Amino acid sequence: MGLLQPESGLLFWMLLSFGIVFFLLARYGFPVILRALESRKSYIDASLLAAREAEEKLEHLRSDGQKLLESAEQQQREILREASELREQIIREARKKAESEGQRIIATAQEQASAERAAILDDARHQVAVLAIAVSEKLLREKLTDENSQTLLAERLLDEIERSSKS
Amino acid sequence: MDLGIIGAAIGAGLAAIGAGIGIGKIGSSAMEAIGRQPEATDKIRTNMIIIAALIEGVALFALVVCFLAL
Amino acid sequence: MSYLKDKGFFLFILLLSPLFSLGQTDSTAFDAKSMVLGHIGDSYEWHIGSIGGGDLSVSLPVIVYSPHSGWHCFSSKKLREGQEYEGLRIAAGGDYAGKIVERQSDGSDVRPFDLSITKTVAGLLINSLLLILLVLGSSRWYKHRRADSPAPGGFVGLMEYLVSSLVDSLIKPCVGPNYRRFAPYLLTVFCFILLNNLMGLLPIFPGGANVTGNIAVAFVLALATFLAVNLFGSRAYWKEIFWPDVPSWLKVPLPLIPLIEFVGIFTKPFALMIRLFANMMAGHAAILSLTCVIFVTVEMGTAINSSMTFVSVLFNIFMNCLELLVAFLQAYVFTMLSAVFIGLSQEHHKPETSEQVEK
Repeated sequence: MGLLQPESGLLFWMLLSFGIVFFLLARYGFPVILRALESRKSYIDASLLAAREAEEKLEHLRSDGQKLLESAEQQQREILREASELREQIIREARKKAESEGQRIIATAQEQASAERAAILDDARHQVAVLAIAVSEKLLREKLTDENSQTLLAERLLDEIERSSKS
Repeated sequence: MDLGIIGAAIGAGLAAIGAGIGIGKIGSSAMEAIGRQPEATDKIRTNMIIIAALIEGVALFALVVCFLAL
Repeated sequence: MSYLKDKGFFLFILLLSPLFSLGQTDSTAFDAKSMVLGHIGDSYEWHIGSIGGGDLSVSLPVIVYSPHSGWHCFSSKKLREGQEYEGLRIAAGGDYAGKIVERQSDGSDVRPFDLSITKTVAGLLINSLLLILLVLGSSRWYKHRRADSPAPGGFVGLMEYLVSSLVDSLIKPCVGPNYRRFAPYLLTVFCFILLNNLMGLLPIFPGGANVTGNIAVAFVLALATFLAVNLFGSRAYWKEIFWPDVPSWLKVPLPLIPLIEFVGIFTKPFALMIRLFANMMAGHAAILSLTCVIFVTVEMGTAINSSMTFVSVLFNIFMNCLELLVAFLQAYVFTMLSAVFIGLSQEHHKPETSEQVEK
C-alpha cells in the first residue's frame, strides 16, 4: 500500500466533489457573503460620511446661532451704551440748567440781599443820623435851630466817617 | 532491520534537524523583529509563515525521499 | 515502488518499533503497525470498532469497472473476510494488498478500474456535503437582508468573521489589486481543508477519515492552485520564467535560469501537496500510535499497562490540541501560499521575488 501513490478512484471522486464544491461555493456561497460584507462596509462608510456631514451642519448652525447671539449682545450693549449716554446727557443738561437756575437765583438773591443791605444801611445811616442829631440836639439844643441844615450836616459827617472806614 | 530502513530513518532525522534549525532561526529573528517593531507584527508574522513554509517544503522533500528509500 | 508498497509504513511508527517487535512475537498480540496503517490508509468499509469479537463497521458501495466483466456495483459487505463476489475479492497480499482484484482465468490477479466509495471517499463526500450546506446556508441568510440590517450572529456571524478576516488579512495583501477574482477560490480551499481536517480529528463515524492526509486529495488541491496560478498568469509572470532579468549568459545558449524557473512552477504546488499530506497524515499517525501504546502494553502486566494508559491519554489530549492547531494552520498555510503564488503571477509591473515575499 503506497501512501505516496494516489488512487485513481479517489482522484476521480476528489476531482468531482471538489469541482462541485468549488462551483457551488464560488458561485453561490462566498460571493454573496463578500458582496454583503462590501455593501455593509460601504453602507457604514456612507453612514459615517453622512454623520460627519450632519455634524458639520450642526456645527455650522451652532456657529450661526453663536454669531446671532453675539450680534444681539453687541446690539444690546450698543443700546445700553446709547441709553446711558442719553441719561448722562440728560443729567448733565439738567445739572447745567439747575446750576444756571441756581446761579440766577443766587444772583437775584444776592442782588436782593445787597439792595436790602443797602436799604438797611441807608436806614441804619438814617437812624444813626437821626440818633446823632438827637444826641447832638441834646448837646447843642440851641445852636442848631434849623433842622434841615442840622440833618444835612450830620449826613455829611457820616459820609466822611464811612469813607474813612472804607479806605 | 534492513539497511534501507535505517538509512530512511537517519535521513528523516537529518531532515528534521535541518528544518528545526531553520525554523528556529526564523522564529527567533521574527520574535526579535516583533520586539523591536511591535506595530509591524502582522507583516512579520505573514513573512515568517511563508519562509517557514518554504523551509518546511525542503524538509518535506527530504522526507519524501526517505519514504522512497524505505 | 513495489518495495515501498509492501514495506510502506510510516516513520512515526519507528518510534514504537521496540514495542512492535515485542508484540510480533505473539501471534495473537495486537498489531499496532497494521492498525495505524489501516486507519490512516483507505479501506472498503468504515470500521468503527470491535464489539464482543464482532466488527462494527459501515459497509460502503463498491463500484468497479473491469474490462472483462463490465461494471460491478455492490455492498462491500459481500467481500468481508476475503470472500469472493462476482469474481472480485480484496487481495490479501501481493502488489495489490488491500485492494479489490479480479482473478483472471490464468490465475493471476488484475486490478479493475476502481471507483468504489471507500472510507476516504465517503468521508470526502460527507464533508463536501457538510461544507456546501454550511456555506450556502450562511449565504442564504443574506438573501432577504439589506446593508442596513444588523450584522448576523451565531454560525453566520462566525462565517462572516472568518471570511472578512481572511480577505482582509490574507487574500487582499497577498494577491494584490485584483484579489476579488481569486477570493472565492481561496476561501473555498481554506474552508474545504479546514473542515476536512477538523472532521478527521473526530474519532468516530462521520469523522475520522484521513481525507486531507491522503495524497490524492492533496494532489487535487495543489492542482487547483497550479491551474489558478498558471492559467491566469500575467505576461510579466511568463516573461520572468522564460526570459528572466539576469545576465544573458545564464539564458543563452544554455537556458539555466529559465529551466530552474520552469521547474519551480511545478515544485511550488508539489510542496503544497506534500506539506498538507505529510502534516495531516503525521498527525493521524501520531495520535493513533499514542493510542496503540495502551493496547501494546497489555502484555506487560497491569502496573505497566495502567501507567502507560495514563501517559497515553495525557499525550493524546496534548496531541489532539496540537492537531487542532495544525488543522487550522495547514489550511491557513495552504491558502496563504496559494494566495502568494497567485499574487506573484498577477504582477504587472516588473516583478521581483524578494519584494513579493515581503508583501
